[in-house]
Amino acid sequence: VTVGERDSGVAKVAEWQHTMYDLDSGINSGAPTVRDEDGEFTSSKHYTMTTTVTREEPDYEITTRSHRVRAAMFPETLEAGTTILSTQTDPSEMTNVQRLAEPSQLLKTAIVHLINYQDDAELTRAVPELTKLLNDEDQVVVNKAAQIVNQLTRKEASRRALMQSPQMVAAVVRAMQNTGDMETARATASILHNLSHQREGLLSIFKSGGIPALVRMLSSPMESVLFYAITTLHNLLLHQEGAKMAVRLADGLLRMVPLLNKSNPKFLAITTDCLQLLSYGNQESKLIILANRGPEALVHIMRTYSYEKLLWTTSRVLKVLSVCPSNKPAIVEAGGMQALGKHLTGSSQRLMQNCLWTLRNLSDAATKEEGMDGLLQVLVGLLSSDDLNMLTCATGILSNLTCNNAYNKTLVTQSNGVEALIHAILRAGEKEDVTEPAVCALRHLTSRHQQAEVAQNAVRKHYGIPAIVKLLNQPYYWPVIKAVVGLVRNLALCPENQAPLRDAGATNRLVTLLLKAHQDAQKHGSSAQQTYQDGVRMEEIVEGCTGALHILARDPINRAEIANMQTIPLFVQLLYSPVDNVKRVAAGVLCELALDKPSAEIIDSEGASAPLMELLHSNNEGIATYAAAVLFRISEDKNTDYKKRVSVELTHSLFRHDPAAWEMAHNSVPMDGPYADAELDVGMVGYSGFPADMDGMDGGLMSEDYPGTLPYDSQPY
Amino acid sequence: MNREEAPGKSPEDMYIQQKVRVLLMLKKMGSNLTPSEEAFLRNYAGVVHSQMSQLPQHNIDQGAEDVVTAFSRSETEDRRQ
Repeated sequence: VTVGERDSGVAKVAEWQHTMYDLDSGINSGAPTVRDEDGEFTSSKHYTMTTTVTREEPDYEITTRSHRVRAAMFPETLEAGTTILSTQTDPSEMTNVQRLAEPSQLLKTAIVHLINYQDDAELTRAVPELTKLLNDEDQVVVNKAAQIVNQLTRKEASRRALMQSPQMVAAVVRAMQNTGDMETARATASILHNLSHQREGLLSIFKSGGIPALVRMLSSPMESVLFYAITTLHNLLLHQEGAKMAVRLADGLLRMVPLLNKSNPKFLAITTDCLQLLSYGNQESKLIILANRGPEALVHIMRTYSYEKLLWTTSRVLKVLSVCPSNKPAIVEAGGMQALGKHLTGSSQRLMQNCLWTLRNLSDAATKEEGMDGLLQVLVGLLSSDDLNMLTCATGILSNLTCNNAYNKTLVTQSNGVEALIHAILRAGEKEDVTEPAVCALRHLTSRHQQAEVAQNAVRKHYGIPAIVKLLNQPYYWPVIKAVVGLVRNLALCPENQAPLRDAGATNRLVTLLLKAHQDAQKHGSSAQQTYQDGVRMEEIVEGCTGALHILARDPINRAEIANMQTIPLFVQLLYSPVDNVKRVAAGVLCELALDKPSAEIIDSEGASAPLMELLHSNNEGIATYAAAVLFRISEDKNTDYKKRVSVELTHSLFRHDPAAWEMAHNSVPMDGPYADAELDVGMVGYSGFPADMDGMDGGLMSEDYPGTLPYDSQPY
Repeated sequence: MNREEAPGKSPEDMYIQQKVRVLLMLKKMGSNLTPSEEAFLRNYAGVVHSQMSQLPQHNIDQGAEDVVTAFSRSETEDRRQ
């Protein structure tokens, strides 16, 4: 719309008064504009007609809008003889325009027109002028220009023109950085904020070095500046390529982390989201957050606020940090487990899931943490969920938190954890992400705490045994197999479980697995080349199965079944294993099997004596004890020479830590016959005789004729 | 002299001491004993008594230790938003 007639100027004024300034500059109405104390312009509201015509004979009159703008902005470009409508009524008194012929005021007026009429051509010409003003030495000028530009950024057309000028954006950035004036800081920050809602604007800010400047504004004492700065940075991080690197380089994290102490939830939500964007996949960023006490601040937010979006963004940062080995213990120490645990029963699904993933990541660092009762109970409750993700996390967390922690084991057992875990296993079917940790958790609950027996019984009472043994079937997923084998071993510690385990086919499956795993391990030669399947070494399966069979063999029927499956040769072979644990379980199962005479004979015929003699010297008390017991049991029918050898070896092993006994042994009657042995020290031990039980009595009871006395005067052998 | 309280006093004493100790350890570890082994212990109750206090106090064979699982091997994307 163009206005051609002079007398429509009044209408223009009226229109101006509807602008954001609501000002009447008095160009047409002549109303004096009063500048009040705080620099605001207000109208005195007295309108008087004050137009006068200048003396010159005009070629034409300034009537068009563009002429008015030009007159205001670029008077030097006006043609000679142009009539300028002057509002001067009293020659001695300057008009408002004359009085206020500051560039900014003129400009502001002109721009108001521009805003009204949205003429791109004029806009483009205004921008360089504004840019110059922003770069002015005079801070008042800069302030005014900033305010004008800020207004311009609120409308699309003018905003577009601004963001298309790199010089303009650079000038804004510079002004923001250099100003000592709060209002200028606020206005310039607001400009950048407004520009940051479009990609073009983001790019222009990025290219103009806006990021370091915005980061510096994060130290501003003005809340509004902080808000603009963080929001603009957030938009940059979200949508501008290269922004993350630039923020990191500008020490953005260093400035952001302290902002976590602010108390505005929405501000915190944006800040935490920035931290998440910066630290995801970037180890250095995570360490910077840690170094600035980020974990404490983040945990504090989780504990304190209830604004869902903030809790969610914060939980995402914690999740990112929770995979960092350095941040993990710090989060746990700050009470992270308990704080995250508070949000597992709310209505926000996304928050709950994030907390669960984070808890799971942290759980291996929290095994010694106290005050976890509430969390543990909630987790047991979550085991009834049908959501696979939730089950995966709950079982995983419980598995780790019950690891080597007797208090937690007892608490979970008392909270019906066993029943809940069994139901989870039943529901999970073949989902190993759930069954593996669930079985591990049961394995933890069934040993090494006061309620271990309660847990062992509870598994049976809640019909868990068949389901658990079924997990030993094909297809084999070895981590699950390994966990189940350990659990079966613990279950067998409870005598009432032995028959149900046998009925479920545990013995059979364990022997099959043992044979297969042993074969696989042998195929690959020496133990230096360990065989991994699904991340599990076959040697671990051998050890686990043998250990479970060891405990199952305490039951006489199981014992017979195990022996009948031709397992003794393999167990004897395992005595040669370089791994102590394998030696221990092999000697242990042979010790149980040797209770039965036929098995004892087989053990002997397989040449077990030699390796067992070696094992008497083991540093491991369990190994030495089992080995000795087997030797005693297989030597019952042996001649006294053999028994003597056993005794000699035992002396060297069992008493070698007892110097007095060793001394005595060495100083007794010298050794004779074939027992002089390179392994034995000088001054061999000899024996004049042995107690009656070594004289070929086959399993018979000691004579009641020798209660409490030593038959030391029995026949020499 | 009470030979039962002087370990290594004679080979026979030592043998009895060894065997008593082994059997007591077995019992401590939860293993079964044969009837003759139980009788042996009954016969040498005095040695049993003196050996009991010398047995190691800690648990000898409790099976494999609990082991944590390291779930935080890598960052996972949000599975749900």
